[in-house]
Amino acid sequence: MVTLTIDGKQVTVARTATIYDAAKEAGINIPVLCYAKKLLPYGACRVCLVEVEQMKGRLIPSCTTPVTDGMVVTTDSEEIRKVRKTVLEFLLVNHVVECPVCDKGGECDLQDLTYEYEVVANRFQGEKFDLPTDEVNPLIERNMNRCVLCGKCVRVCDEIVGYGSYSFINRGFETKIATAFDRGLDCEFCGQCVSMCPVGAILPRPFKFKARPWQLKEVDTVCGYCGNGCTVTLGVKANKVETIRFNDKTGVNDGNLCIRGRFGYSYVNSTERLTTPLIRKDGQLVKAGWDEALAAVSKGFKAAGKNLGIITGARLTNEEFYLLKKVAATVGTTNLDHSGGECYKGVTEGLKQTLGVTASTATFPQVEKADAILAIRSDFYETHPVFGMVVNQAVKRNHAKLSIVADKRGKFGKLPDARSLVTKPGLELNVLNGIARVLLDEGLAVTDGVAGLDELKKALAGFAPEQVAAATGVTVDALQQTARELAAAKNSAILLAYGLPYTAYSKELATAAANIAILTGNAGREGSGLYLCGEKANSQGAIDLAVLPGNQGLGAQAMLAAAAAGQVRSLYIVNEDPLVSYPDQGKVEAALAGAEFVVVQDLFLTETAKQADVVLPAASFAEKDGTFTNAERRLQRLHPGITSPGSAKTDQAIFQALLVSLGDKVVYTGTEAIFDALKAGTPYAGIGYADIGLQGAVWGGDHLTVSKQLVPVGGGATVDAPFQLVTGSALYHSGTMSTHASGPNAVISAPYVEFGREDAAALQLVDGDMVQVKGSGCELQLQARVDNRLPQGVLFAPYHFASAGLNRLYKGEASVAVEISK
Amino acid sequence: MFKEFIQGLSITFKHLLPGHSTTVQYPDERLTPSPRFRGLHRLVPTQDREKCVACYLCPTVCPAKCITVESAENEKGEKYPQVYEIDLLRCIFCGYCVEACPVEALEMTAEYELANFHREDFKFNKKRLLK
Repeated sequence: MVTLTIDGKQVTVARTATIYDAAKEAGINIPVLCYAKKLLPYGACRVCLVEVEQMKGRLIPSCTTPVTDGMVVTTDSEEIRKVRKTVLEFLLVNHVVECPVCDKGGECDLQDLTYEYEVVANRFQGEKFDLPTDEVNPLIERNMNRCVLCGKCVRVCDEIVGYGSYSFINRGFETKIATAFDRGLDCEFCGQCVSMCPVGAILPRPFKFKARPWQLKEVDTVCGYCGNGCTVTLGVKANKVETIRFNDKTGVNDGNLCIRGRFGYSYVNSTERLTTPLIRKDGQLVKAGWDEALAAVSKGFKAAGKNLGIITGARLTNEEFYLLKKVAATVGTTNLDHSGGECYKGVTEGLKQTLGVTASTATFPQVEKADAILAIRSDFYETHPVFGMVVNQAVKRNHAKLSIVADKRGKFGKLPDARSLVTKPGLELNVLNGIARVLLDEGLAVTDGVAGLDELKKALAGFAPEQVAAATGVTVDALQQTARELAAAKNSAILLAYGLPYTAYSKELATAAANIAILTGNAGREGSGLYLCGEKANSQGAIDLAVLPGNQGLGAQAMLAAAAAGQVRSLYIVNEDPLVSYPDQGKVEAALAGAEFVVVQDLFLTETAKQADVVLPAASFAEKDGTFTNAERRLQRLHPGITSPGSAKTDQAIFQALLVSLGDKVVYTGTEAIFDALKAGTPYAGIGYADIGLQGAVWGGDHLTVSKQLVPVGGGATVDAPFQLVTGSALYHSGTMSTHASGPNAVISAPYVEFGREDAAALQLVDGDMVQVKGSGCELQLQARVDNRLPQGVLFAPYHFASAGLNRLYKGEASVAVEISK
Repeated sequence: MFKEFIQGLSITFKHLLPGHSTTVQYPDERLTPSPRFRGLHRLVPTQDREKCVACYLCPTVCPAKCITVESAENEKGEKYPQVYEIDLLRCIFCGYCVEACPVEALEMTAEYELANFHREDFKFNKKRLLK
């Protein structure tokens, strides 16, 4: 620790702090333009100049100067003000003063400083730039005439996002921020640069001219897309979510968001949202009142009784899950499951057997300090981009060794020294077993207090590195290096994402990952963790609250099969579009046809809802009050920003009304009362609703206590075909909901099939060609995209789009053999 | 004392003579208000559009909250007021809106005959304000 004096105040701060950090700690405000908490010090703007007693004769930039013992700092004096004013005058030489039409006006750092330092005239004359605005992409608009060259966008894109879209080009007065060859921005559109820009040079296009910052009501809530649980701050004007505001004060994401979080909010405002309940009369869905709809639903459910099947998506709040369980109990059915059915369950079962837990064993911030990271199956960045940014920082700032076991290359693979262990689809298991074998063979494994070692050794007999290498295409060296790095690491992180498009081998993969966690000493060690990351906002909540089949109840897949066979007479599908998102569309179709009475509760008239007998209009995350549990077990509060369109209700209100019409007498006074009621017997028992503060509340603490039981798993099987198709998540979308949002749709609005360069060359395909994909007895017409991510013979198609009908082809396998014709 | 009475009343009677009245025979006669009179608002037009750039400063500064602005982007990519409306029943004619305008797009005219028969007629939209 270092003690220094700032403006007569004694401050003690860490040795690594800068003068700016120290002043902030002491509550002294130094103006800045180029400084951001999450970025490395840069010192570009010279606005933060201060006087230091020991360095007399010149002014010192406070944001880049480290503190030393006994330093005496003055942050405000006549001379300092004069110099800062001059700096601002210099900046305003080129900066176009178009504040009235600039959307940043009102929250612009330059505007605020100009006002504070009373820069009313400029002593310097210069040419105003007249550069064209960059409008080549639909989401981010860049107006370089307003740029003050602070370099925040360059740094955030490089340091945090790891994309590197921007750089400075030209020299002297001509210097500007540009993309490669100054062609305009074409990136992953996470919008970090938008949130960092201190002036109006980079702005969100969907928000263009929509409102002034001071007109917006800010509502902190939790993003409704993936399980990362980022805080999003809604900017609400006239009951409409107009934009997502920058907020690095609450939550775990440090103000970082991905395209879905920042630009995917628009489905909330969609005019296609359901506004009234619909009831099927004479084969047509017609508008109806709530009383009529609820009466029909409760009559149908009562008639079905224990033959009612309930499938719910994982975007309900914990409170809603609890009420849904009550609905099931009141009707008397045990057929209850949350989305993904067997897929999610497999992962949790695998972890339960080995580590004795069903959740991530540590929290996100620890990953930043990890020495070695292993990402399993698919590129983690596509399913959980903001967690991916944490990994970026671990690799770029702390030189963590990153290994990726996946069937295709992704963004992680481009990080410095990252090792991609690209396997044939379905053989990730073999690679993990191979790593486990290396750990054991080389005596690197932690075996103290570990059960099941002998069985595992026996099971790994066929997974010698050479054998694994021959089967999967991963080199022996890569396997050994990965195993050694993981074993040598003081802190390590193992990442496993799960979701609807990743159903194959889910239990086995979780088991194999847990085996590695145990053998490397990752399990149970402070600072290390195995991260289980759900696809949906509250996947973890569904697991924690056991939204699972009860005694003799059926799981999602079994329910669908039973419905097709007529045993499950009624289906209640909440917040999920299984006709699009579930593997094997035929099975879902048969179930919907086989069930006598189908109720769908959703925001939109989805493909599944079109088949329903009653459709109930539900609410989005922006309209809800309650809690989500994210992938690191953090409970976070949602706050309603807007009211639902028409007579649509939150799922909570619908379940309550349904419970009343089913004859349940308990009425809750509010969300808090429901939370108090749901806690008993769950991991949330010790958490009060009021304790869930700005940073949420993590159940089980930063580290979960785990057991160490090794469980042998076999290898996977691969398809032997010239072309095999794998499915998964595309970076720009999440589930089926984001296909209703204009932001993600502006980038990718239609289904596609991706080819590697070699395959594209062999088939003579270019971007945009239409191809026939034939397999599993059906044929799909898809647009081709060419990229360099896929190994030869492997194709990728995202599962989000209803129009693709991809799940006619994909039935839950690791990969599908397909034939391609033009 | 009597003398003083006469002196005082002579002033009074002088004012009763024709040509000394301050009353204006409205509507037969009308006064010309002073140049800084604050009457009905007017949006200043330019050649092809209104000068207003929809910066929202006037509705922000308005103490009576009588101005409604909705901005939008026109074909040229410029910001313009898609909706600009002043509710004169709420307006207190303080002139802050004119003072706040950074582009001198709003001014107050000498128009003071604002009586009307219907409430809706007191809502001045962009078309009426541009006249």
